[in-house]
Amino acid sequence: MLQLPCPYCGPRDELEFSCGGEAHISRPLAHNKISDADFGEYLFLRDNPKGVFLERWRHASGCRRWFNVVRDTVSHDILEVYAMGRKPRSSAGKNAYNNSWRRTSAAEAAAVNK
Amino acid sequence: MAQAHPDISALEAQAGRLPDQMPHPDGGSGGIVFTDLSTCGKLNLRCASDVSSQIIRFLGASLPDKANSVTTSGERRIIWLGPDEYLVLVKTGEEDSLSSIISSALSSQHHAATIVTDALACLQLDGPAVRDVLAKGCALDLHDTKFTAGMCAQTLLASASITLLCEGDSSFRIICRTSFLDYVMAWLKDAACEYGYYVTPQSNI
Repeated sequence: MLQLPCPYCGPRDELEFSCGGEAHISRPLAHNKISDADFGEYLFLRDNPKGVFLERWRHASGCRRWFNVVRDTVSHDILEVYAMGRKPRSSAGKNAYNNSWRRTSAAEAAAVNK
Repeated sequence: MAQAHPDISALEAQAGRLPDQMPHPDGGSGGIVFTDLSTCGKLNLRCASDVSSQIIRFLGASLPDKANSVTTSGERRIIWLGPDEYLVLVKTGEEDSLSSIISSALSSQHHAATIVTDALACLQLDGPAVRDVLAKGCALDLHDTKFTAGMCAQTLLASASITLLCEGDSSFRIICRTSFLDYVMAWLKDAACEYGYYVTPQSNI
């Protein structure tokens, strides 16, 4: 079992948490011009990397807050924990964030007002 | 022909419902006493932690500034639930007036004071066996040097979500959903059999 460090409550067993899957997926604005294929990428495509992965977790049986986790899916090491709305600060987390295919996706470009 | 309702008491006996009193197997006094304090007033407070100074005179104690901690004033307990969420335990019947006082004191702030008296149950556990009994179903480190008076935690007890308050070396409170109380109580009785237990009648604080 994993032990996750909740940024609010401290380290707790994995049983108390629920995993919310991949982090940093931006929703395209309601009025956007992206294709159905690009919207489908946003909606359905999820990464499943071997190595460092950025995930959302919720401390369901504790403080019920969401937070982000940088986790290595091979070693199960928890490399960093940070608040929702923030970006990773560890080098492994930064690399995983910057190297994700989503950074250049049409959906992410359509998620901000330009 | 309509089917007869099953006999509830027979079902309970079949399920092995334990009595309200179980002596210690080796004789002597029981290891744990359960008291149902569910009638106490409960108020869920959502607000920024920095409003503490504005409402301290109504609450009687400041909002806990550390995670997993409780502040106390007489019978009142202010329990940390999250970075902007607290649970206030008050004497039976005090929650209505406290809720409206806090709401008017914080009227200019983003806040919510919700009465949750009937949604949540509160159970007091006293006795030398209390830490051993809880440790059977709770993954937290409950050693008396680690989980000390004034600490609290929202966690799982035998898969049920609970809020655990440490009131002293051998005194705890469990707050759980009212609908979970039967299950939690049945589990606690079963876990306490080897130490002996006693269930006192429901009482107000």
